[in-house]
Amino acid sequence: MKYLSLAIATLSTLLLQSAVAIELKFAPPDFETDYGMPYLFTPQPDGRNTPWEALILFGALSATTWMVFKARSRRGLFAISVFSLLFFGFYRQGCICPVGSTQNVMAAVFLPNVGISWIIVAFFVLPLLFSLFFGRVFCASVCPLGAMQELVAIAPIRISPALERVLGLGKYLYLGLATLGVATGSGFFICRYDPFVRIYRMADNYSMLIAAALILLIGVFIARPYCRFLCPYGVLLGWMSRFSKHHLEIPPSPCVECRLCEDSCPYNAIDMPTPQHLVGDPAEGKRRVRKLLFLSPLFILLGALGGYMMYEPLSHMNPTVSLSERIAKEDRKLVQESILESETFRVEGKTAAELHTESLAIKEQFKIGSALLGAFMALIISIKLVELSVVKKRTIYEPHKETCFSCGRCYPYCPVEEGA
Amino acid sequence: MLEKKEFDKSDFIWRLSTTVTIVSGFFALLVFTLLLVNYLQIQRLDPVNHELLTQMRQDYANLPEKDMALAQRIRDLDLITRKAFFTSQTFLRIGAWTLLVCVSIFLIAFKNMIRWRPQLPDILDEPTANKEFLAYAQSRNLITWAGVGLLAGGMMTAELLEAKNAAAGESDAEEAVPEVVVVPPTWEEVQMEWPSFRGPGSNAIAHYTTAPATWDVEAGTNVLWKVESPMPGNNSPVVWGDRLYMAGADAEKREVYCYDVNSGELLWTTTLAPLPNTPAGDLDVMEDTGFAACTMVAHGSQVFATFANGDLVALDQDGKQMWGFNLGLPENHYGHSSSLIAYDNLLFVQYDQSEDGKLLGLDIATGKEVWSTPREKISWASPILAHTTLGPQLILSSEENADAYAPTTGALLWSEQCLGGEVAPSPAYANGMVFVANEYAVASGITLGGTAEAVETEVTWQFDELLPEVSSPVGDGTHFYFGTAIGDFVCLDAATGEERWVEEMDEGFYSSPILVGDRIYLGDMAGIMHIVKAGESFERLGAIDMGEPVYATPAFMDGRIYIRTESQLYCIEAS
Repeated sequence: MKYLSLAIATLSTLLLQSAVAIELKFAPPDFETDYGMPYLFTPQPDGRNTPWEALILFGALSATTWMVFKARSRRGLFAISVFSLLFFGFYRQGCICPVGSTQNVMAAVFLPNVGISWIIVAFFVLPLLFSLFFGRVFCASVCPLGAMQELVAIAPIRISPALERVLGLGKYLYLGLATLGVATGSGFFICRYDPFVRIYRMADNYSMLIAAALILLIGVFIARPYCRFLCPYGVLLGWMSRFSKHHLEIPPSPCVECRLCEDSCPYNAIDMPTPQHLVGDPAEGKRRVRKLLFLSPLFILLGALGGYMMYEPLSHMNPTVSLSERIAKEDRKLVQESILESETFRVEGKTAAELHTESLAIKEQFKIGSALLGAFMALIISIKLVELSVVKKRTIYEPHKETCFSCGRCYPYCPVEEGA
Repeated sequence: MLEKKEFDKSDFIWRLSTTVTIVSGFFALLVFTLLLVNYLQIQRLDPVNHELLTQMRQDYANLPEKDMALAQRIRDLDLITRKAFFTSQTFLRIGAWTLLVCVSIFLIAFKNMIRWRPQLPDILDEPTANKEFLAYAQSRNLITWAGVGLLAGGMMTAELLEAKNAAAGESDAEEAVPEVVVVPPTWEEVQMEWPSFRGPGSNAIAHYTTAPATWDVEAGTNVLWKVESPMPGNNSPVVWGDRLYMAGADAEKREVYCYDVNSGELLWTTTLAPLPNTPAGDLDVMEDTGFAACTMVAHGSQVFATFANGDLVALDQDGKQMWGFNLGLPENHYGHSSSLIAYDNLLFVQYDQSEDGKLLGLDIATGKEVWSTPREKISWASPILAHTTLGPQLILSSEENADAYAPTTGALLWSEQCLGGEVAPSPAYANGMVFVANEYAVASGITLGGTAEAVETEVTWQFDELLPEVSSPVGDGTHFYFGTAIGDFVCLDAATGEERWVEEMDEGFYSSPILVGDRIYLGDMAGIMHIVKAGESFERLGAIDMGEPVYATPAFMDGRIYIRTESQLYCIEAS
């Protein structure tokens, strides 16, 4: 039954898209009339970001915080999720969202002559500030991307914590690639490859729509796969949340260690009490940490080297680089047909040599950027290894501040009353 | 403890949810099936190119006069077809939204079905915490392997993509259809020009025999014009029509120059933009070789140039790049120096390297590889195109062999193992005999025989007393002449290999001798242009000081000599 429902959901989304595809295929009338052809390509978002939206975001974050800390209501969070999905998702068509605003901020930092409005800054900063004080309440129910995944997570299962940690490296890689993309002027990859915005706008190419359908399909069983393994903004939220002053607590009063919540979190975000009989020799852990700290610079150097070697394929993400190579192929008659981009280039009046010089300058940027990306990934892996070598003593069940989405799934499982 | 509502059970809600789940699921499936059928129908519909409509349009177009009734029928039918299409499309849109609503109801009901028949959490005997703690070590291992995988995967991807791009370039080239039509010059036309290193076919024999024998660069006597070379380069000037071409380069920049042969005016300079596959990184070449040692080819409406870093370009007569690519960074410890040569519609590149050497036959219009023949040994020599009685042969020297190839196919015609050391002098051909020589080896006279299909060769004689190091030899049919790096000007009998004369000059030779009628011109490294009479005995006809070293080989046209010295380009013409 589960599989049937998912298949129907996926195919219906694809069929919605088919209508648009057919419309695109249909040629305009071959005689002149007053009929104006409709705009058939990806609908553009409403670019008017108003202060009201920032206020609504603030309100939603505040309401979520209240639901998480005071009401401890999963239903309340569910209701806010639905609101976020409808308002930030379908009504605002997913733009601007704090996840994408990361790139606007990066662009303002890295690129000359790129400004940023204070509303975008507010969208970027507000969830981070709330995370710093209250944990990832933005992820709980305000993020339209997370809301959609939360709603389809009907039968979530827990995956192995080790696998969770490895797959979790994906979001750091995505963040690094997105930064590289913005810093080299290659584009806003987070938005370009945002699978959910296609659903909010009911349009775009099939491949992205299929990706969205697949993520939702996976999300029925492995809840919030995008948030856990891909979301680049989640990395920043996690870092803020790690140092949060207040954070969701599973029991509102002292834990009675009933173990009912043990299996309640599908995100592996509950840190269990440390079993004393398994702690082992602390000296061995210290030795391992010392070794890792000593070897970390070497790892980072290796990472930088590996990243540097990848600069050539990575540079193809840049449209100027790929166009330059396309033009060169066309000029050498290695390809028979031109593409829209190359035809446009040829009527612009720029020479292939000028384009290629630009392309080479961009590749130089990619050399540095790719090396930094490699070093960043090596640094993250080193930190993760050190973290996994240190056993923090715990006597109760508590949420892992960095990875907990404050979704409240654990609330119903805890029998402890507030003030008990 | 709290009574948790989340663990309540309700048979009524569970039954209701189950019923709604089944009904909405069935309905969703039905709508989906109908939509799928409709979708497939729309896919097949092509309202604009409807068969009947197309026929009617054709009929209308063939009518001598306008038939308004037929035009109206076409419009009516066009409208009907479009309406049918859009009706189906509207059905698809409405159906798709209906389906989405059904699926939403289905999912909500399904969620409630699970909710109202919940399972209380299982508490296992062994606390989950134990497993979690043990998973730390597993996590460390997995993350370490993920890091190694990322690093190795990244490196492998980079390598694979590079290999794929290289392969794609070659395979795409096979499918390429040339759009640019280039009419190659005939061999007769080529012989009237100075198209390549050492003239037509690189045979070192001038077509015109009217070159001046006296001039004075200091006084300007018989010097038509003189210009300064913009950039260094040991390549020799080539001439086609009223244009002279040469190249210059340093580690950073590569340029091609075109001069008016009558005035010495620089008509254009093309600075090569880095080619898409030009490898990054510094290139080390020997100072004597330089970055522009390879002589260009002028071939009808095109000129071709190659440089020490392996860049190869085709330019039109206005200096516009027609095509260009990098041959791969040369594995060559002195620096790539082999000159280009062209014949008919092919450009030949002797790319002898320490590894993966090859002889290439490229289409002059597109740069597409027509054939490629592997070469096993390195060399710094240039190919010659000998028009033998057995047909045209592309003759090459390498570290070990003298080899000949069929120009049209690249097939090896013959090979003689008679060379050794680091070979820079190119072969010479005259009167059925090939002459190859190199310092630290021997000079060999190879007689060609047999048929065009089965060429037979014989090393008729060998000579090992004086040998050229860089300068290439020339033959007039009865003798072979060459200059050595220590200043010997040598003449051997072509039939026997016996020494006819040796004249010791003050300076050695890098430039190659050219036979102009019965005279031989050869410039030395001190800048003296020696003019001697070809024949059994040595007879000096002139020794003219060019003022600075001559490394390049001059170009000889009707009544003119174009000489590139270390920093200048001269046009010598008898007044």
